[in-house]
Amino acid sequence: METDRPDGRTPNQLRPLVCSCSILHRSHGSASWAQGETKVLAAVYGPKAGTKKSENPEKASIEVIWKPKTGQIGKVEKEYEMILKRTLESICIRTIYPNTTTSVIVQVVHDDGALLPCAINAACAALVDAGIPLKHLAVAICCSVTDSGCIILDPTKDEEEKMKAFINLVFPNTIVSVLPEGSLQAGSEPMAHGIMTSITQGAMSVDDYLHCLERGRAASARLSEFVRKNIELKSTSEASKAG
Amino acid sequence: METKSTSSFTNLVDQSVCPGDVVLDLSKMINQTIKLGGGLRQDCDAISVMKAGRLRFSKPHKYWVENSQKRYVPYAEDSVLGIVVDSRSDNFLVDIKGPTLAFLPVLAFEGGTRRNIPRFEIGTLIYVRVIKANPGMNPELSCTDASGKAAEFGALKDGYMFECTTGQSRMLLSSPTCPVLDALGKKLSFEIAVGLNGRVWVDAASPHTTIVVANAIMNSETLSGAQQRIMVEKLLQRIQ
Repeated sequence: METDRPDGRTPNQLRPLVCSCSILHRSHGSASWAQGETKVLAAVYGPKAGTKKSENPEKASIEVIWKPKTGQIGKVEKEYEMILKRTLESICIRTIYPNTTTSVIVQVVHDDGALLPCAINAACAALVDAGIPLKHLAVAICCSVTDSGCIILDPTKDEEEKMKAFINLVFPNTIVSVLPEGSLQAGSEPMAHGIMTSITQGAMSVDDYLHCLERGRAASARLSEFVRKNIELKSTSEASKAG
Repeated sequence: METKSTSSFTNLVDQSVCPGDVVLDLSKMINQTIKLGGGLRQDCDAISVMKAGRLRFSKPHKYWVENSQKRYVPYAEDSVLGIVVDSRSDNFLVDIKGPTLAFLPVLAFEGGTRRNIPRFEIGTLIYVRVIKANPGMNPELSCTDASGKAAEFGALKDGYMFECTTGQSRMLLSSPTCPVLDALGKKLSFEIAVGLNGRVWVDAASPHTTIVVANAIMNSETLSGAQQRIMVEKLLQRIQ
């Protein structure tokens, strides 16, 4: 059953993606990531010397500061900060700069639904821009389930308010490899099918959850291509001055 | 199979790579002695990328990822511009834009002894060489070259220091001379020191010339070689 969406998108269609890097002068890495009207600006400072008292000084620590568009941060923003911190910790190589702190400041420019995946994508792009050592990249996507059981990707704020449940998923980026096919798989699945973060809201049956995973994986392949093209664009502009 | 692997290696060299990409398979290499530069790490028999950039190879077996960033990662034998932020009894603490402050021993100067320790004010700009850069330790600097001579190292007086990315500083230091410096050198007389940590110091007879040179270098970051020459010519026409 097809669901008509107010902005004319098909259920599996993402909103237009826009990503800009190196837009802030003082930060060591910065990125702006927009999905439709939702826009997030992420800045990375560091690594700087020293760690907080509660952190492990034998590893690099990551500090995430979430700045809402208006007002003070509340419980929801605190939860977003924690989710973002854990996701970024899992993709960074933290043994290279022990006893340092990397600050990631996430500023919400506009919220039109699917805010947390947009922030995760922006933070990953900013970490790449800052040259922080990473194990792999991450791409985030939001799926939602309607009352009639249809699955919709990348909902807007209006759509979010009508949904029965939705789920935020983070997958590793697909990679280019010279290893023979199959050696990078965990079991029978490619590495890119692993789930790094999964957060659900609302009531969702197991079947709906598995369907959301399927749709999310397919969409993350497109997001991975976009991220890779963005990085190649940056490298190309650097190579032109070397030539 | 080996031919296929060899073509795979060739395909990835000089290509853009992203963190997580596997660029080498050690189990298939005949000569397994390779040197890994910045941006690469080993995971069992696979060599994977840590930073986004362009994979480079130089004979016979050296691989690295070339990228441009604002934060500097200290490596031994780099020449950098540092700012003195403190002085202790046996070390100067120098900011080289790395994760931690660097140590410059008071005896690491040409002819340095306990009796003639140089005096640096806080904020002095010095051109130094990184001699140790181990992870988890503060980098150690020296104001002499490997043979103990001061060479080009030491404090830089007057002039103007600005910051750029590490990629641009590598471009300024590359040989042959990069087009913007070549074009400026034909018309203007100036002194320049480029640190690999993304700091550039310029000095000239008049502040006017210093500002022109600094602006030309800052503007040249995203331009190609020909565009740099055109930009410099337009700039010089405007000031004559």
